[in-house]
Amino acid sequence: MAYTLRGRVETRLAGAIVPVLVAAVLAPILHKWWPLELAGLMLLIGLTLDVVVYHHLLPYQPGWAAVPLGLLELGLTMAAARLLELGAPLQPAVLFFAGSWLLAQLLAHAVLPLLHLTWPEDGGELGRAGPGLSAAAPVALVAVLGIAWAVEPPTVRLEAGMHEGPLVLDHAQTVVGEEGAIVRGGIRITADDVTLRNLTVQGGEYGIEVRDAESIELDGVVVESAELDGINARQSELEIRDCEIRSLPGTATQGIDISFASQLPASLVEDCLVVGGSEGIVSHMANVMVRDNRVRSTELRGIAVTEMSMGDVEDNLVEDALGIGIFCGDYSHCSIEDNRVTGMRPDPSGNPTRAGLGLVAHYGAVATVGGNTLERPPASFIGARIESR
Amino acid sequence: MSARVAIVGSGLGGFVAYTTLRHAGLRPEEIMVFGSDADPAGAWRPRAAAIRQRRMRSESDGHCAPTSFPGLAVREAARRRDPAPLVLSVLDRYRPTVGEFLRHVAELRDRSRWDESVVLARIERIAAVEEGFEVGRHGVFRHVLVATGHPGLALPDELAGDPRVVHAYEPHEYAARVGVVGAGMAAATEWLNALAAGSGVVSVRRREPARRPLNVARPFFTKRGLAGFYAAPRSRRAELLRAFGEPSYPPGRAWDAPVEAAAREGRFRVAPDVDGVAQIICATGFRAGFRHDPLLARLVEEHGLESEDRWIVLADDSTVPALTDGTRTLALAGVPGQWAYPAADTLVGMKVAARRFSRRVVSWPTR
Repeated sequence: MAYTLRGRVETRLAGAIVPVLVAAVLAPILHKWWPLELAGLMLLIGLTLDVVVYHHLLPYQPGWAAVPLGLLELGLTMAAARLLELGAPLQPAVLFFAGSWLLAQLLAHAVLPLLHLTWPEDGGELGRAGPGLSAAAPVALVAVLGIAWAVEPPTVRLEAGMHEGPLVLDHAQTVVGEEGAIVRGGIRITADDVTLRNLTVQGGEYGIEVRDAESIELDGVVVESAELDGINARQSELEIRDCEIRSLPGTATQGIDISFASQLPASLVEDCLVVGGSEGIVSHMANVMVRDNRVRSTELRGIAVTEMSMGDVEDNLVEDALGIGIFCGDYSHCSIEDNRVTGMRPDPSGNPTRAGLGLVAHYGAVATVGGNTLERPPASFIGARIESR
Repeated sequence: MSARVAIVGSGLGGFVAYTTLRHAGLRPEEIMVFGSDADPAGAWRPRAAAIRQRRMRSESDGHCAPTSFPGLAVREAARRRDPAPLVLSVLDRYRPTVGEFLRHVAELRDRSRWDESVVLARIERIAAVEEGFEVGRHGVFRHVLVATGHPGLALPDELAGDPRVVHAYEPHEYAARVGVVGAGMAAATEWLNALAAGSGVVSVRRREPARRPLNVARPFFTKRGLAGFYAAPRSRRAELLRAFGEPSYPPGRAWDAPVEAAAREGRFRVAPDVDGVAQIICATGFRAGFRHDPLLARLVEEHGLESEDRWIVLADDSTVPALTDGTRTLALAGVPGQWAYPAADTLVGMKVAARRFSRRVVSWPTR
């Protein structure tokens, strides 16, 4: 295909209609603006490449070129999304891009040649519909992004330095810390759609306490020296990424405790480091996904999914735990795969369930396991079952 | 006043125009097709058979259907339940077989009810009359598309009367020692055919052939490449068209390897003349220019139409400017339409002319 410049732009805009509409539907469902912002960013990068690069370098564009050009645009879009802190999770964002790309290919190879007979020889131009589309697109894009910007939760930036807490967040907002920003005395979240990014929290009864809130994101937070739990969530749904919980003082503390949320969608704990405390990451009566974390030097259990929870525990590393590494207990259903548990220490109490076991299913729980690296075989107690994947 | 549309020429160019008009909503009884053969591939098929052509030079979109999609690659992939044609098409490596193309023509002929519109008649004159054109003695038509194809086979004057001569597009076998005159796609095909038949080949050529996948460079198939062509002065435009007409055939080992192997064995050589060969195959294509087509020559002469070199000057939408206005349309498709579209003699080019013609026809309030 030898696109004219106008043809490239009009075909690009036509290809963006469905993804933008999908994003417009997804955004309110997810209570997130990133789908719309991502769609806008994809379009902007695509149009810029069309005008500045492709038109000059590709007087004729063979069909196969769509693949490397698509990969180039994917890389640029993801990099820009990260740079602009859109908050788009990588996997869904890549899927959204891939779906949009496939739709664009379908449009260019099948739909447009069928709808507009002269599309191929007109170099991708859409005839009378083209100028209308070109005129409407920026208006629609500005309107959508404007609305998104207007109704998006406000962003509060915390300057570097110490901020006295406790900080109470009782309405939707994004709190972004500059490098060196520290909140002393804890943070309490009681509203939906709150995002914390790049913050250090020191002290407080709980480092970060979440109550009756959904669509909470904790991204890049560090919690130090909380009196009880590092992060404590009740009846809430949240995503925790790239966190660090350290200097937990006592044996009654948890690194991350997500509980009493079995009626809510699964919460996520990903890429976190938890050091010390009684339990590193624990859920009671909740749905959780715990993956790619490192948990070290716990006194009761490294990772625990218990009290009728549903949990996926994948690709975690548990080190130097006392008694139990990974625990599935009390009628919970757990999928425990591809984890590594090392340096287990037996509990001096002599309790056989705490004999330095890497993986334990207890009291009616069902654990499906596979691909784990353990120093001792998994063990089950009191009517619990361990099934291989 | 007749409200019907006429297509003069029942070959592939006329067929493409017909299917495009049908797609636009015209009924078979609204279109009359004049030609000497009801089979739209009737002229093309024996030529392809004569040179033992197995694959088309055109790609997936080299078909006669009105829409580009689905192309022949999609159709073949669906029929064979094999994605290979699609992959090859994405890589610009798909060449449909002649069988695949002819199967498609036969299906489309049936589906479009082509035969209902065909009138077996040779048209010797088209005359502009008030609000239309008188086509032979078959009445007046407001919209006429002329797709008469190539005006006959070309043979070098110096070989006239030589009993050893056969044109590549005429049925023939291969003598033990064959001279092939020409350097285009047909000549290259004949080199391979003769070598495969065990013959020795002497290639006689005036110039080295260009190696390109299609007749015309790809950008000239779309608006982008055509913009410069349309902007060029007439003399330059004619010069470009002459250059496009110079011999070429696709690059690739499938063409080169047999010739190189035969050259090493002394069975293939390039020579300045055909001395000493038992058979001379003239792969010299067709007569070029409207003057060789009696119908077009008469049209130009009677209506004082503008021409440049061997081409009738056309508007960019393939219509004849002096005879096209708000009341009537005269358009040229296929090889006579090259002034508006350099690749007019390809299937894609025929579709371009047909779409432009169809747009005028359907936009006409009463047809």
